[in-house]
Amino acid sequence: MSGSLQSFFAMGGYAAYVWPAYGVFFTVLLIDWLAPQFRRRRLLRDLRGRMARQNARNERTGRKSTAST
Amino acid sequence: MANWIPLWLHKLSSPPVFYRFAGTLRPWAIALALVLGIVAMYGGLVLAPPDYQQGNDYRIIFIHVPSAWMSLFIYAVMGIAAFIALVWRIKLAEVVAMASAPIGAAFTFITLVTGSLWGARMWGTWWTWDARLTSELVLLFLYLGVIALYHSFEDRRQGARTAGFLALIGVVNVPIVHFSVNWWNTLHQGSTIRLLGPSTIASSMLWPLLTMMAATKFYYFASLFGRVRADLLALESGKDWVRQIAENEVRR
Amino acid sequence: MTDTRRPGLGHACMAVLRRDLTLAWRQRGDMVLPVLYALIVTSLFPFALGPEEALLRRIAAGAVLVTVLLAMLLALDAMFRSDIEDGSLEQLMLAPQPLALMLGMKILAHWLATAVPLIVIAPLLAGMLHLPPPVIPVLLLALLLATPLLSLLGGVLVALTAGTRRSGMLLALMLLPLCVPVVIFAAGALAAAQEGLPWIAPIAWLGAALVLAVVLAPLACAAALRIALDS
Repeated sequence: MSGSLQSFFAMGGYAAYVWPAYGVFFTVLLIDWLAPQFRRRRLLRDLRGRMARQNARNERTGRKSTAST
Repeated sequence: MANWIPLWLHKLSSPPVFYRFAGTLRPWAIALALVLGIVAMYGGLVLAPPDYQQGNDYRIIFIHVPSAWMSLFIYAVMGIAAFIALVWRIKLAEVVAMASAPIGAAFTFITLVTGSLWGARMWGTWWTWDARLTSELVLLFLYLGVIALYHSFEDRRQGARTAGFLALIGVVNVPIVHFSVNWWNTLHQGSTIRLLGPSTIASSMLWPLLTMMAATKFYYFASLFGRVRADLLALESGKDWVRQIAENEVRR
Repeated sequence: MTDTRRPGLGHACMAVLRRDLTLAWRQRGDMVLPVLYALIVTSLFPFALGPEEALLRRIAAGAVLVTVLLAMLLALDAMFRSDIEDGSLEQLMLAPQPLALMLGMKILAHWLATAVPLIVIAPLLAGMLHLPPPVIPVLLLALLLATPLLSLLGGVLVALTAGTRRSGMLLALMLLPLCVPVVIFAAGALAAAQEGLPWIAPIAWLGAALVLAVVLAPLACAAALRIALDS
């Protein structure tokens, strides 16, 4: 069994070409997949921070309004 | 808005509606992409027999050909979205066009790298100035140009429209480049390397290829939805629906 | 020159052309820079590749072509720069005359100011790299067709970057895909001429492309400018 698995990974002697190709495929797509996730999380965190600052300022100045911007 | 556009399509183009729509569809798309991708890889790497001419080497085509196809498909989607954005000024179309560009660039990059890995074994060289390869390289530069132009504007929407115009110029450019490189190659070399021979492909190799094509397509939609969602949040960050999402996310 | 139904159109064209050429002439130093750049790049080739005449003759045509292209790219950034800064481009956009025609005149003026000096010294550059004299007329013809094509394509891209701060490297990245066919056909004509083969076909292709670009590029340029400066 381990012999057949070994021959599978050897790819008939072309392992040096086949596996890097698959590696590049998955690495690039993984980066492409994760980048917007992180960006979305960062955007929401920034937005929450901005909202918190705005609320704090409103309370300090005594205004009850939730003015936009 | 023109009357012939169905009402639901009109509704869908509103950012909060599309945000929710993309959010529901995205898990399904990525799950389908993963399942189909695993099935295709099992079929391509394990079940398909070694090619009698190329040995095990040809197994790169199971990712190379779908990626090459996606690089052109995504450019077409980007071009259509850019056209819609320029003519009807729909915000969602701008976002779709600009979100497609990085995914297309990723697939073009994969195509170039896997192609040169394949070529290194098949033709004994990493790179040859063949019409297909050169067109693919030019396509990568077009994608990069669109992305760079988009990011050089302060105003996202204006950047999207301007980069969309560049994408439309590229639609005209790619066939011209392909034609001219073909002409150039016949001038310089008597016989070029034939990339895809007339050999018919066995069905045991064909079905993993087609399955992988479907998988990459679903992956594109999943990734596109993710990017569009993030872009919409950034673009509409002052609006109430985005604030609600920000508040709900912290409670979860 | 003057159209009877719309008097002043020819006048306006000439006015734009004369204004841009006058401005270019007052900034003579800027006109000389691309020429100097081309001379420097060309003189670097023998140092990098060695002074063997056979090798230099083999690469001469392509090297001169690429050098001229790079020198034009250097000057491209400035095509509408000062007009955007002093607001005269907005004036032009508001003017009753068709914007595409006015922009075409501006591109023509830019071509006259930057490309023509380069074409004039092209025989000198070719001589520095030992290009055979019979090929030089073909070189000039190819440059005469290729440089306006590059100016027109460049004009569209410069219009697209009009609303941005820095655009030097960005322009190069955007122009590369567009100029591949131009370089291929111009270099193809030169290679054919050098080997004594008929070179008229690629020149004809260049000419056809130029005719198309003369008609379409100013329109695209106007559309791009309206998108890029629309706020």
